[in-house]
Amino acid sequence: MSTLILFNVTNGLIIGAFYVLMALGLSLILNLSGVINFAHGGFLTLGGYVAFTLSAYIGFWGALIVAPFIVAILGVVLERTMIRWLYGRDPLYSLLLTFGLAFMIEDGSRWYWGPQGLPVTIPPILSQPLSSSFFFITGYRLFMVAVAAGVILGLFCFLRYTRLGLRIRAGTLDLDTVSSLGVNVRLLRSFNFGLGIFLAGLSGVLAGGQLGLIPTMGSTLLMPSFIAIIVGGVGSLPGTLVGGLLIGVAAGVTTVFWPSASEAVMYVLMGVVLLVRPRGLFGEEGMMS
Amino acid sequence: MTNFTFSRSMRRRSLLKASAAAALLPLARPFVISARAADTVKIGMVNPITGVYSAPATSEVEGAKFALAELNKNGGILGRQVELLVEDSANDVGTGVQKARKLIDRDQVNFILADVNSAIAYAIAGVTNEKKILHIVPGGHTDPITGKDCKWNVFRVCNTTAMDSNAVASTLIEKFGKKWYFLTPDYAYGHTLQEGFVKNLTAAGGEYQGDLLPVGTADFSASLIKAQQYGPSVLLNIMGGADQVNSLKQFVQFGMDKKMAVGGALYELENMRAVPKEALTGWWTMEWWWDQPNVPHVKEWVAALKAATGKTPSARHWFGFVGVHSCALAAAGAKELDAAKMAHAMEGMKLPPEIALQPGDVAFRAGDHELMPSIFVGEAHAAPAGGESDDMFKTQTLVPGDKAAGPAEATGCKVEWPA
Repeated sequence: MSTLILFNVTNGLIIGAFYVLMALGLSLILNLSGVINFAHGGFLTLGGYVAFTLSAYIGFWGALIVAPFIVAILGVVLERTMIRWLYGRDPLYSLLLTFGLAFMIEDGSRWYWGPQGLPVTIPPILSQPLSSSFFFITGYRLFMVAVAAGVILGLFCFLRYTRLGLRIRAGTLDLDTVSSLGVNVRLLRSFNFGLGIFLAGLSGVLAGGQLGLIPTMGSTLLMPSFIAIIVGGVGSLPGTLVGGLLIGVAAGVTTVFWPSASEAVMYVLMGVVLLVRPRGLFGEEGMMS
Repeated sequence: MTNFTFSRSMRRRSLLKASAAAALLPLARPFVISARAADTVKIGMVNPITGVYSAPATSEVEGAKFALAELNKNGGILGRQVELLVEDSANDVGTGVQKARKLIDRDQVNFILADVNSAIAYAIAGVTNEKKILHIVPGGHTDPITGKDCKWNVFRVCNTTAMDSNAVASTLIEKFGKKWYFLTPDYAYGHTLQEGFVKNLTAAGGEYQGDLLPVGTADFSASLIKAQQYGPSVLLNIMGGADQVNSLKQFVQFGMDKKMAVGGALYELENMRAVPKEALTGWWTMEWWWDQPNVPHVKEWVAALKAATGKTPSARHWFGFVGVHSCALAAAGAKELDAAKMAHAMEGMKLPPEIALQPGDVAFRAGDHELMPSIFVGEAHAAPAGGESDDMFKTQTLVPGDKAAGPAEATGCKVEWPA
C-alpha cells in the first residue's frame, strides 16, 4: 500500500505540473487584465491540433516549439480586436465573451479537424516506460515535467529579473501608476495575454501526446486550472503553482482509495480552502517579491 | 485617465462565479432552429454531437442520413418523403430529455432515435413511452432499456452489455486466465457491462478487482498503477469514447502491454483511429465490422457509404442506418404511423439482407425488443503497412446474438402494452 501511495503521489505531482502550466497562463491574464479567460481550454485544444497539423511537416520537436507561438499570436489578435474593449468593466463581461469564444473554438476545431479523435505520435525515445518497478514512470511524463518545470522557471525568472516582467508584476498591483510612469499598458496587456495563451498552447501540445486529441479536451482540463488558482490564491503565481500540484496529488491519491471520487476531490479541496482560508493558501500576500 | 484598478476580492468572487459557470458549460448549447416541411414523415434523432462521445454520435447520424437518402430515393415511408431532425444532447441527460420533448411536442416527429449515451437513452425512453412515440435506440447499451425497464414502444439496435460481455468473456478466460482488473466508467453502461463480465468470471471461478472512474477522466496512471500491483492476467478496459482512447494510450506508454493482456467489450473503430498503432491490441467485440468479404451486399454498402462520408463505415454507421430503415419497415408492416401498431409489427421483424449486412438472420426479438445480430469477437491489430488504413481488427468468431443474449425471459423484460 505504501508503494502504491508513493507511486500515485509521484504521478499526481507529474499531472499537477501540467495543471500548473495551464493555470499559470490563466492566472497571468487574470492578474493583469482582470479577464477570466473562459476560452483558455479552447486555446489548449488549438495548441494540440495546430501541433498535430504542423508535425506532418516539421516533426514533433518543431511543432512543440512553433505551435504555442502560433496560438499565442492568435490569442493576441483576439485580445486586440475583442477583449481589450472590455477592460475596466465588470469581469463578467469578459467572462461572457470568452465563454462564447470557447464554444467557437471547440466547434471550429470539430468542424475543421472532425469529431474523430486524432492519433498523436510521440517520438519513440519518449514513448517508453522508464521504470514500472521504481516510481512507475514513462519517458513522456518525465519529459512533460521537464518542459513544464523549465517553462515555469523561465517564467518566474522573466517576471523577476526583466524590465518587462517587473512592469507586469507592478501592473498587477497598480496599473494606474504604471501607466502614469509612461508604460504603454495596452501593449503590456497584449503581451501578457499572449504569454498566457502561449502557456495554454504549450499545454495543449503536451496534452496531445498524453491524451486523445479531441475537440473537448480543453474544456475537460479547464476546471482544474480554475481550481488551482482558487486553492493557491487569486493574484498569486506561487500559489497557483502550489495549488496545481496539490490538486494533482489529491486526485492521484484519492484514486487509490475511492476512484470514482478522483475528480470530485478537487472540488472538495477547493471547498475546504474557501471555508478555512477564503483568500487561498497564498492569497494576495503571496506575490513574488 | 482610464481607471485600471479593480477590486481583488471582486476578482476572486468573479472567478468563483466563473468556475460555477464552467461546470455548466456543457449544458449551454444553443438550439438550432430551421424550417420544417409539412406533410413529411419526421424522424427525430437525439445524439451527443458535442462532448466526449461526438465521434460515435456523428457516425450514427451519418449512417442515418445515408439511410434517409436511400429511403427518399425509393419513395420514402408510406409514400411520403422523410425528414431527419437531429438534435444535440451534449452528452447530458437533462439536455437530451429536453431535446426529445421538443422534437415530439414542437416538431411532431413520428419516431425518435436516441442516444449513444446509455443514461440519456434510458431517460428519453421514459419520455417516448409517456408520449407514445416509437423509439429506436441505435447505440445506447445499458441492459435495463430492453431488460427490466423495457417498454412497448422502445426497440434497440445495438447489443445489450450482457450480450457483449457474454460473447467475449469465455475467449478472455480461455486465452489469458481468470484474474482480471477492470477500468469501468462510472455510469449506467459501465456498471451493467462490468456486472455481465463479473457474472461470467465468477461462474468460471475467477477473481477480480477494479476501479470505477468518472466519465471524462484524463489521467489513468493511478488506476494503472493499482492494476500493475494486482497483477491480473487481463486488464478489462470497458471505458468508452475518449476515455478508452486515453486509457489505452497510457496503458501502452507504461509498458503494461508487455505484462498483461487487455480486452473488453467494445473497441470501436472511431477509437481505434484515435490511438497510435501500439495501442491497437487486445481482444474485443465488434457489433458490426466492415470487412466481411463473403457476405452479400456488404462490399457495395461499404463502398457507397465511404463515397458519401469519406470514411470506412463503423458499427455506429450501421446502427444509424438500421435505425432509420427500421422506422420505414415498421411503418410498412403496420401500414400506418400509429406507434402501437408499428411496435407490434416490429416484434419478430427480420431485417432484409441489404440492411442486416451480415450472415444469418437478424431480427428484433419479440420478448424484449432487442435486435439479435451476430457479435464479432476478435483481435485488434495495427493496420498493415501499405494496406487499408482501417484494417485494424481480425474477426475470430461470430457469436450469434441470441446465444449471447440468453432467453428473453431472463432479461427481466415484461412488455406491457397500452390499453
